[in-house]
Order: sequence, then structure tokens, then C-alpha cells
Amino acid sequence: MLDVLQNLGDGFAVALSPGVLLYAFIGCLVGTLVGVLPGIGPLAGISLLLPATFGLDATRAVVMLAGIYYGAMYGGSTTSILMRIPGEAASVMTCIDGYAMARKGRAGPALTIAAIGSYIAGTASVVALMLLAPPLAGFALRFGPPEQFALLVLGLLVLAYMSVGSMLKSLAMATLGLLLGTIGIDHMSGYQRYGYGLHELGDGIGVVPLAVGLFGLGEILATAGRAKPPEVIHPRFRDLLPDRREMREAAAPVARGTILGFLVGIIPGSAHIIATFVSYAVEKKLSKKPEEFGKGAIAGVAGPESANNAATSGAFVPMLALGIPSGPVTAVLIAAMMVHGVQPGPLMMTQQPTLFWGFIASMYVGNLMLLILNLPLVGLFVQVLRIPYGYLFPAIVMFCILGVYAASGSIVDVWIMLIMGVLGYVLRKLDFETAPIVLGLILSPLIELAMRQSLSMSNGSYTIFLEKPIAATLLAAALVLLILGLLPLVRGVADWRARLAAADGDAESK
Amino acid sequence: MIRLLSALLGAALLAAPALAQDDYPSRPITMIIPFPPGGVADQTARAIITPLEKELKQPVAIRNTQGAGGAVGMGAAANAKPDGYTILLALSSVSIIPEADKLFGRKPAYTIDQLKPIALLGADPTVLVVRAESPWKTVKELEEAAKKEPGKIAYSSSGIYGTLHMAMAMFTNAAGINMKHVPFNGGGPAVTALLGGHVQALASGPGPVLAHIKAGKLRPLANWGTKRLAVLPDVPTFAELGYKNVEFYIWAGLFAPKDVPAPVMEKLRAAVKKAAAAPEFGSAMEKLGSPVAYLDAPEFEKFWAADAARLAEAVKRVGKVE
Repeated sequence: MLDVLQNLGDGFAVALSPGVLLYAFIGCLVGTLVGVLPGIGPLAGISLLLPATFGLDATRAVVMLAGIYYGAMYGGSTTSILMRIPGEAASVMTCIDGYAMARKGRAGPALTIAAIGSYIAGTASVVALMLLAPPLAGFALRFGPPEQFALLVLGLLVLAYMSVGSMLKSLAMATLGLLLGTIGIDHMSGYQRYGYGLHELGDGIGVVPLAVGLFGLGEILATAGRAKPPEVIHPRFRDLLPDRREMREAAAPVARGTILGFLVGIIPGSAHIIATFVSYAVEKKLSKKPEEFGKGAIAGVAGPESANNAATSGAFVPMLALGIPSGPVTAVLIAAMMVHGVQPGPLMMTQQPTLFWGFIASMYVGNLMLLILNLPLVGLFVQVLRIPYGYLFPAIVMFCILGVYAASGSIVDVWIMLIMGVLGYVLRKLDFETAPIVLGLILSPLIELAMRQSLSMSNGSYTIFLEKPIAATLLAAALVLLILGLLPLVRGVADWRARLAAADGDAESK
Repeated sequence: MIRLLSALLGAALLAAPALAQDDYPSRPITMIIPFPPGGVADQTARAIITPLEKELKQPVAIRNTQGAGGAVGMGAAANAKPDGYTILLALSSVSIIPEADKLFGRKPAYTIDQLKPIALLGADPTVLVVRAESPWKTVKELEEAAKKEPGKIAYSSSGIYGTLHMAMAMFTNAAGINMKHVPFNGGGPAVTALLGGHVQALASGPGPVLAHIKAGKLRPLANWGTKRLAVLPDVPTFAELGYKNVEFYIWAGLFAPKDVPAPVMEKLRAAVKKAAAAPEFGSAMEKLGSPVAYLDAPEFEKFWAADAARLAEAVKRVGKVE
């Protein structure tokens, strides 16, 4: 323990030297911007800046590029809360309650809580990364296809708890998402499914065009379709900060989101977004007022926003301890380190102690910088809501189109986004939740690939899922969850969802 | 008035291509990368454009047009206006995709004769690796184990009909053995699956596995090149071990649409030749673990033809997977 403190002290000496500090700041700033812009994510941001680091020394380069990664998680919440456009795939869940809070004039608190939650999660998970990396990395490697399949099944069942109104409606939406996820070239056989001769559909429907269309464009169409335009919000200064009640309600979700995000982040091949929606579902299940979710519950912002930040630190665990990427972003970071002659992996801590500990220390510093950078911006960002809708909406539509085109350079993706916008509008009119579609789309290819990989490993025998201890445990947990979900149906007891729906029905008939 | 305008317009239209040819390049050039940012193709492209811009005295903009394993971007480049302002950086998979399309009776996004090679920039032979704990010390031992229990030993790959799958298919075909293929979504996850012990073997570019070999986690058995790798001097090639036509490289090359005028092509070739020799490009590629292997258009064309023939054969032998 004393060693760690000693090393960390040396690390801080590196991280706080003016040169490194400057590059950490540039990284955090670029990350925030990349997170704010819909479509462009941390992967594109890091790849674009990689050649610019060729002339730098290794520590500065790595500190800057990592700053983009975790900085993006701070920025991603901004457009989600203000305009219901996910700035980054991992911010989809924030759209639901974050935007609902903004509509109630609480955009400031939502943004502030998102930034504070991100800070706490970022810092706490770096502590975990520092102390637990080697043992956790070994655990992460044990996640092969069967274990991933079991984890994803668990994630899929959580979808059922996502619903705000009717469970049937949200399951229908999840199914739609799963079906959309089957489009594209089948990874196991090479057959094209539902391609209709369009090569652009070979990789399936992208998350970015789908989410930006369903959430962002769908919302604009729905608002424009109202007989009476919504009032322009004039946030006052004292409305920028969360009140005491909001702080209290956010505390536990931040803590739970941090742990959850970190654990999901470690597992190779899992997407950060899984951590966010599992966190959302957990908060809703534990909440004393689950009916508030979807209508501006602060816990629905605090949990997922903390989870996506903690997941980035989690993703660094296999990278630093084993030198293996846990996803595309860490793969680019590993390549960036190799360009500078540093090989991430078990030997890095002893061979490159300055870089390793400087990197760890810079993440503490970087998270603090991001908090300082983002809090004053809350006041500025909230001003966006003062813009009359006649000007704001065309600008948002333009951002949606630009962002989607910039992300893939494909005009087909722009069309997908526009079609999803219309679909999002229709579904909103019919009172369907759109988040389960996005989650279904993300889970579907992962779950299918993991299952078929497992079966080809076992020559078609399903017992492989029960022979592996981790997989069996996760599947048992999924079964418990399923039984808990079905119990009210069997007993005929109306749960809060039914009560809420009934109350809504009464209100409408009056 | 209208006649005058149309005459002027006509003259301008006629003059434009001629002008463009005279002082090519007179405007920025787009380099299409058919893969997402961050991969081998993208990193090679970003390393070459800096010296290339100095040679051409025009900016070179990278456009990542991803989709369908690269088919979308390669198709876009093959069908682009052949004026030299759109060029393509592609990997070995450029020869596989039309073959796979043929196999499934799909309308191909492009055919390989639509592309004209400019230069080869890098070519890494793949390396056969197994886990260090595994009992197989040589290719022979692996082959015998696979013969004893056909379909039992599993290998991971970057995806079905992907480069890593094809490399392995060449080996299993030549050895007459049957190994289980478990495709992953990219080369990174394929390496992770081997490290985690979920599969037993893998064909991989040297870059992603070198560190794990040095750390004693993985054991290299052979490489697919014509000569031994400088970084792994003790590892034999398949040719040395007596396997015929087991030769494969993960290579990166520059292409242009086939109808690019000869003078433009000359300028591109000359500029790329100088850029590939620039020390900044060399050191960037060295550090990425994939040293420069430059070939000018005529030699690259020959290399490509032989490579494409081997790959077409491999795709046919694998056939459709049911």
C-alpha cells in the first residue's frame, strides 16, 4: 500500500508538470466537444488526433488521448438533456429523464448532477483501477462467448423493467429493436440478411442514425406537431444548481452506477451502453417512486451518467494489466502507445513506471479538470433553451444530419436517421417508449454472435452454458429475475405499473 | 445571350478536364479508407498522408467510408470519377470480397479489375500462434492432434471470409485437416479469445501478438511469408516446412479507379514512391509493428495477382458455411 502511495506521488509529479497538464487539458477539452457533438464519438476523436501526437513524448500523447476518451463521457450528456439527442451512444438513457427534467425547467440541475456524478464515478473507478487491475484483468479474460451470452441474456431481461407505462408496449419495442439488429451480413455464415441489395446495410443499421433519429428528430416532429407551441424556458440562475432533495436522491444512484459501470467496463466486448441501461433499470427497481422515471427522475440521470464514466476506467483494466483491448477505443489507445514505443501489459508498470503512474495520476487530475470545465458551461448550455423554437429546431435538425453523416460518411445512414425520425414521431404519438428499440438493436447482434460462437465451440451442445461456472451463475440470476417479473402476473396482483396506467386512464376520461 | 452563355459554359466544360490534367493536382485529394478510424488501414493512411501532401503540394483528406467489411468504401472508390482526386487505401480483403459475393450470387459492389494499383505500402505475413500452455510445439504436432480429433481444435478469426480466416483455411486445406472456426468481430477480440483459452489457435498479423509472445503467453509455430520475420527469427515459414501455396500477407496498398489518365497515374506513383521512402513514414510504421514493404505499381500488380488467385482458391475451398 505504501508502495502504491509512493508511486502515485511520483505519478502526480509527472501529471502536474506544466507540459503534461497542458496536454491533459487539451484532451479533456476535445473529449468534451466530441461528446457534445452527436455522431462523433471518442473513437473518431482519438483517431483524428493520433497523428498529431507523433511528435510528442509518450506520456503526453497517452495522457491526451485518454483524456478524449473519458472527457467524451462528460460531454455526451449535454445534448441528451437539452435536446434529447444522444451526443454519444452511451448517453441514450440520459435522454429519457434528463430531457424530461429540462422540460420542467430543471436542465441546470440535470447537467450539474451529470457532471458531478461523472466526476465521482471517474475518480472512484480510477482508485479501483489502480488497486485492483491485475486480479480483475485475469477475471475479465475468463469472459468468453458462453459467459458473454449469459451476461447479455441478463441484460435483455432487464429491458422488461425499463418500461414507463405498459410492459407489453416496451417488450414490443425491444423486440422491434432485436429484429432490426438482425439486418446485415451474418457473422457466422457470411449471408446477407434483409439487405435489399444495399451494400451499406451489410453492417446492419448503425446505433448513431437510429438513436439520433428516434430521439432527436422524433422529438422535434412531435413538438412541432402540437397545436400550441411549448413555452420557451427561461432558466433563472438559482435554477442552475440542484436543490437539497435532488442531491440526496442522486447520491445512492451515483454510487451504484459507479460500481456497475466499472464491472461492465472490464469485460471485453461489452458496450458501455449496457452499463447505463442496467443502471437505469436498477435505479427504477430500487426507487421508492418508480412512477417518476421517464418524467424527470434525477436518479435516472445520475445512475447512467456515472455508469458510463466508470465503464471507461473499467475498460482500462485489461488494457493496462494485460495489453488487450476491451473495445475499439482501447484498441486505438494501445496502437497509440505502441507508436510511442510503449507496450501496454503486465510489464508496463515495471518498465515504464513514469508513464504508468503519470497516466493514473493524470486521470485524477483530468476528472477534476473536467468538473471545473463543465460546471460553468452548464450556465452557458442552458441558455440554448432560450432560443425560440423557430430557430432552434432547424438548427438541431441540421446538427442531426451533419453528425450522422460525419460519423460514417454514408448518405444511407442519413436516410435511416430520417426514416427513424418519422418512426419515432409515430411511436411517440402512440405512447410507445423508444429506448428499448435502441437497446434491442445493440444487444441483438452481440447476443446472437455470442450464442452461435458458444455453440460452435461445443459442437452444438447447449450444456456449454451450464458447464462454465460464470455463465451458469449469470443465467441463474436471469432466471430469478424472470420469476420475480412473472410473479405479479401469476398472482394477479396489480403492480405499480398497472396502478399508474389505471390512474392515467382515469385522468384522461375525466 | 443565352447562346453566348452556353458557348462559354461549353468551353469551360471542355477546358476543365484538360486543365486539370495539365497541372494535376490542382485541388485537394480524397483518400478513401473503407474501414472505421483506428484500424491498420486508417493508421497506415494517416502515416502516409503527411509526406504525401508535401510531394503533391495539395492537402490529402481521409474519408472513412465504412460498411460491409470494406465493400462499401472499396465500391465507392472503384466507381469514383477517374480523375486522380479520389484514391483508395485497401487491405488484402479487397480481393476476397468480390469472391465471397460471387459465392453467394450477390451483385458485387465492385470487381477487382475496376481498380488500378498505385503502390504497395506494407505487407506482414500472418503468424500461427497457440497458447503457451498448449502441448503443441511445432506445426506437425498441431496437425497430428487435429488429425486424431477432426473438428475438435478451435481457432478464432477476425470474421467469416476475413483475412485471418482465409490464412487459416489455406493451412488446413494444405494439411488436409479439419479445425473448428469460431469467427469474432475483428482481429482484437480474436486475440483476446485465444488469450482467454476459449479457442486454441489463431492466425494473426505479428503486431497484435508480438508482445504476448515475448511475455510468454503465446507460442508462435510458423509464419505465412516467404522468409522468416526479423522479429521472430526462430519461427519457420510454412514453405520451409514443406507446405505448398500456404502464403498470405496482411497488406496495405494504394489504388485508383482504373480509367485514371496515364500522366496523372505517373504523378501519383512518383509522389507515393517518395512519400513511402520518407523517414517519418518509415518510423511510424516501424512502431506500429508493420515495417514498410514498398512495391511500385508493376511489381505490386504481379504480387496482387498471385495473392488474389490464392485467396480466390481459398474462398472456393471453404465454400458456403451452413
